[in-house]
Amino acid sequence: MTAVHPRALEYVDSELDGVIPDESELTAGTRIEPGKSYGFFTDTTLCIGCKACEVACKEWNALPADDMRLTGMSYDNTGGLGANTWRHVAFIEQISRNGERATEMTPFQSNWLMMSDVCKHCGNAPCLEACPTGAIFRTEFDTVVVQQDICNGCGYCVPACPFSVVEVSLIDGKAHKCTLCYDRMKGGLEPACAKACPTDSIQFGELSDLQERAERRVDQLHGQGAASAYLYGAPGGPGATGGLERLHAFFLLTDEPEVYNLPEAPSRPANRVAPSLASGLATIAGLGLAAAALLAFAGRDER
Amino acid sequence: MIRAPETGRPRSPAALFGRHRERLPAEPEDYRGPTYYGQPALKPSPWTWEVATYMFLAGLGGSAQILATAADLLGGPGARSVVRHGRYLAVASSVLGAPLLISDLKTPGRWYNMLRIFRPTSPMSIGSYILTTFGGASALAAAGQVLADRAGGRDHSMLARVAQIPAALAGAGMSTYTAALLSATSTPLWAAEPRLLAARFACSAMATGAAALSLAEQSDGGPANSRTLDQVALAATAAELAISVASDRRQRERGVGRPLRQGGWGAAHMLGAIGLGAGLPLACYGLNLVRRRRSRALSVAASLAVLAGGMIMRHAVLHAGQRSAELPGEYFRLTRSAGR
Repeated sequence: MTAVHPRALEYVDSELDGVIPDESELTAGTRIEPGKSYGFFTDTTLCIGCKACEVACKEWNALPADDMRLTGMSYDNTGGLGANTWRHVAFIEQISRNGERATEMTPFQSNWLMMSDVCKHCGNAPCLEACPTGAIFRTEFDTVVVQQDICNGCGYCVPACPFSVVEVSLIDGKAHKCTLCYDRMKGGLEPACAKACPTDSIQFGELSDLQERAERRVDQLHGQGAASAYLYGAPGGPGATGGLERLHAFFLLTDEPEVYNLPEAPSRPANRVAPSLASGLATIAGLGLAAAALLAFAGRDER
Repeated sequence: MIRAPETGRPRSPAALFGRHRERLPAEPEDYRGPTYYGQPALKPSPWTWEVATYMFLAGLGGSAQILATAADLLGGPGARSVVRHGRYLAVASSVLGAPLLISDLKTPGRWYNMLRIFRPTSPMSIGSYILTTFGGASALAAAGQVLADRAGGRDHSMLARVAQIPAALAGAGMSTYTAALLSATSTPLWAAEPRLLAARFACSAMATGAAALSLAEQSDGGPANSRTLDQVALAATAAELAISVASDRRQRERGVGRPLRQGGWGAAHMLGAIGLGAGLPLACYGLNLVRRRRSRALSVAASLAVLAGGMIMRHAVLHAGQRSAELPGEYFRLTRSAGR
């Protein structure tokens, strides 16, 4: 952990009058270049529930506060992702498992699960595929962003999303979600949440690097006896099912996906367009032919 | 692991301070696995009554155009009034429908961005072009009809005869694409059975189109045409009833669609869409078939019931679907791999 990136030595005095070029090389060990795929690997076994990611996200993106009350259901007073909340830390206090009491359960992280949820920037993004205006597009960093100057607030991306991420704000009438800090990435900066994360539970980087790192982490945890560790959203695994292919923001989990409010096997809504249209048009064709026959029959009587 | 009841606690501030959400009783096929404090795992669409009303009008107008074109090409001279009414109904449905869609946008001033790109994976994009084509072609056909009416009804305007072909083809799209719009989402009720939902919407479209035209004939002195149209509506309504029974069975098997069976929208669906929209008209049409003299009152009652049922069905499917998105069990039943 004491290793210092060689480029950090170029900036020993912190008196800077500008942005450090390619700063993400220092903070995340990756240079941000257009044409490559980037994403987040969120390792929930490292999350301590500090919500620095939530705060950093709100601060950088200047997102308004939403409902400021206590939820009354858990330590989670954020509730979920939405138009004004692009990182959400879920808190799961495991007080029993299959009838076992907490004192009888295998001790693992004090039986607390914490997970910083975020937009998954899906490989085949349902929000993007649903967007009729082209407001949602795929960036040069292979991430998914809503263009605020195009969106007309039709709201189709909202039910399309399999992960309850994107939402139309009633403040401005546009859809909003995580941009994977598109503006920061353009400037060579690591996304705000990953940079703020004090335990490196949120790791930013090139997707292929992250996937390798995540596989190693799963092996390491298995070796340490945490047999329940698995990846959610890695290609071929849970979360990346039904044509979604891969999630650019993927997770290391230690319990069933539904415990974290994630679907085990979500599917790509666009897969349902062709079957629906084919069935509907076939039905209307059948009824249309029947109607034509009845009209022709009635017409013949007249003549 | 948290095994919480499906309280479906509302999330958005509007929902928090607004309406009270009814709790739906459990069913044997319900999801029993873990949830996150019973919190929704999906967001419901932000669509309001405008979208449901549009879906009704699109189906009605689209099918009316199909019937008008069929009557023009195949019907006898007595069917001229069906052609005229169908063309006017089609253009009226798009004139009413498009503003409804625009007023549902949360930034309505940018409605024209719908025609900025074409995206074949998005039924809303597909539908924008279907509606544009349908509206344009139907307007031309109706304009041709106006010219023909001015000429005393004898002249068949070429304009209408040419324009009605693309209008009828787009009308087939109008009758069904709204089901694809719903199914191409993650909302459990809409996504569970795309084929059955589309078939149901198509049947309802044809039934409402025929019922509206039958009413027009009754008020405009064409009882013979009304009889033919009632037969079309009878066939479409019977098919719709069969499909809705099949789709109810499939939804129960898959453990989804509880809001369409229970609570307020469940009652609206059962009484309004099935009872009023299918049961009553089938009885009326059936009576008219066996009676020696057709009853005008039965025909009118059946047509009105079909129209009301079609409207209630679209609203029930829209709202029950939005409710199903807020029940994590509905979604997790659908997205859990077999054997878990």
